[in-house]
Amino acid sequence: MPVTAAIEGSGLRFGYGGVPVLDGLDLRVDPGQLVVLTGPNGSGKSTLIRLVVGLLSPDAGEVLVLGRPASDPQARRSIGYAPQGSPGRMVLPVSVIEVVASGLVTGWGGGRRDGEVTAALEAVGMTELGAECVFELSGGQQQRAVIARALVGDRPVLILDEPTTGIDRAFRPRLVDELRRRADAGSAVVVVSHDPDDFHDVCDRILFMEDGRVRDVGHDEFHALQPGAGS
Amino acid sequence: MIDVLFTADFGRRALVAATVVGVVAPVVGAFLVQRRLSLVGDGIGHLALAGVAIGALVGISGLWGALAVALLGAVLLEALRVRGRLTGDLSLALIFYLGIATGAVGLSLAGRFDTSILGVLFGTLFALTWADVGTIALLGAVVLAAVLTLYRPLLAVALDEETARAGGLPVDLLNLVLVGMTALLVVGGMRVVGLLMVAALMVVPVAAGSKVAHSFRTTLRWAVGVGAASAWIGLIVAAWHGELVPGGTIVLTAMVAFVGFALVGRRTAVGHRPRRTA
Repeated sequence: MPVTAAIEGSGLRFGYGGVPVLDGLDLRVDPGQLVVLTGPNGSGKSTLIRLVVGLLSPDAGEVLVLGRPASDPQARRSIGYAPQGSPGRMVLPVSVIEVVASGLVTGWGGGRRDGEVTAALEAVGMTELGAECVFELSGGQQQRAVIARALVGDRPVLILDEPTTGIDRAFRPRLVDELRRRADAGSAVVVVSHDPDDFHDVCDRILFMEDGRVRDVGHDEFHALQPGAGS
Repeated sequence: MIDVLFTADFGRRALVAATVVGVVAPVVGAFLVQRRLSLVGDGIGHLALAGVAIGALVGISGLWGALAVALLGAVLLEALRVRGRLTGDLSLALIFYLGIATGAVGLSLAGRFDTSILGVLFGTLFALTWADVGTIALLGAVVLAAVLTLYRPLLAVALDEETARAGGLPVDLLNLVLVGMTALLVVGGMRVVGLLMVAALMVVPVAAGSKVAHSFRTTLRWAVGVGAASAWIGLIVAAWHGELVPGGTIVLTAMVAFVGFALVGRRTAVGHRPRRTA
């Protein structure tokens, strides 16, 4: 019996103001896979992710998340999404716990489940900082709070945009291990990174984006594609 | 003179109405401030003046006219914001002027451009009937119930609208609920502190609370405390003096609280501590 893809995109086309960014892109990520999506700046990685999480609609083609259209609220609720950067535009003080707990809210209700928030904080090494105001944290710690918000609730699809940017090197292996563990537990994990070395040894696949399309590259080919390779 | 607040019917009515608005306004205001929409309450307030004028022209109560136009205006403001037409202050300024000019022209046409308009703009707290207080309490209860029921989704949207949308939250509907509640609150506060100042009670107590809090929830608690205390202290000052407009004394009390909290917060609260290093 065929496995329902966690993420499936077919014939995706998208452009900004007539300038094509995605040009007939096909993509499939299965449950249990840890996939790194990489490529040069401006290759369309973030655009592709925004299509998958339903923030953009393709000009042509379709994105399915666990068999449902990406625009379907049910599909969106199955995704834990960590955009790049800080946890949002903060005007008022907001605690780390409040940021993380907001990841549990998927409908009109949506409770704060303290155990899951604590587990997510633990996963990013921030148990002691839960009550702190995010204003007071460093950029790297804010990024970890964003990651915890995506991890909370154990959603079956995880998408993290440049999760290691700004995070100190000492913490990165712990994050990589956590994402590998999530994939081994059955989640589909997609990590967008223009510098995927951190995930190189543990990921199942490396997807390389170029010219509006994406293709699987082996680890060796990936290294050959790096600027300066072979010099 | 202060004893009239507790012994005379008009004083008790004023106290109840001011307390309701003092408590409820910051609850809505906190979400507006977090979303950088602090001036939306003002925009709706100005539109509500047009509603009062339209009510006078068609022969219905100013309250109902204000309610209808405030709700309609709230939907319009949100539609403009969603379409990216309200990113700067120009669109909001245009809404302000539309509301105030329509109000002035409409009231003139209805032959109601007289000193009674001061009550709409600055409140008529000591002239409320128990029916007025009942309406204000009802509007306050509806707003409070809605916001507390939807606290978590509203907070998720206020923290990061894009991630909330990606997570499957009905963001557009929640935004409409928020501005709708703002409209109800503006109308509820119209007779208490007036259309020109009701938005101040949504914003100033929240700004004060934010100076000493470390989370959204504690900011909200402090803001509600400041709002309620400002209502009481402002009313007491107005009653003691006898000539002061209570709406003004209430808002000024909240401003004093803001300054005090800001001074205390310089030593204790967020934004003044050194940031941690990664």
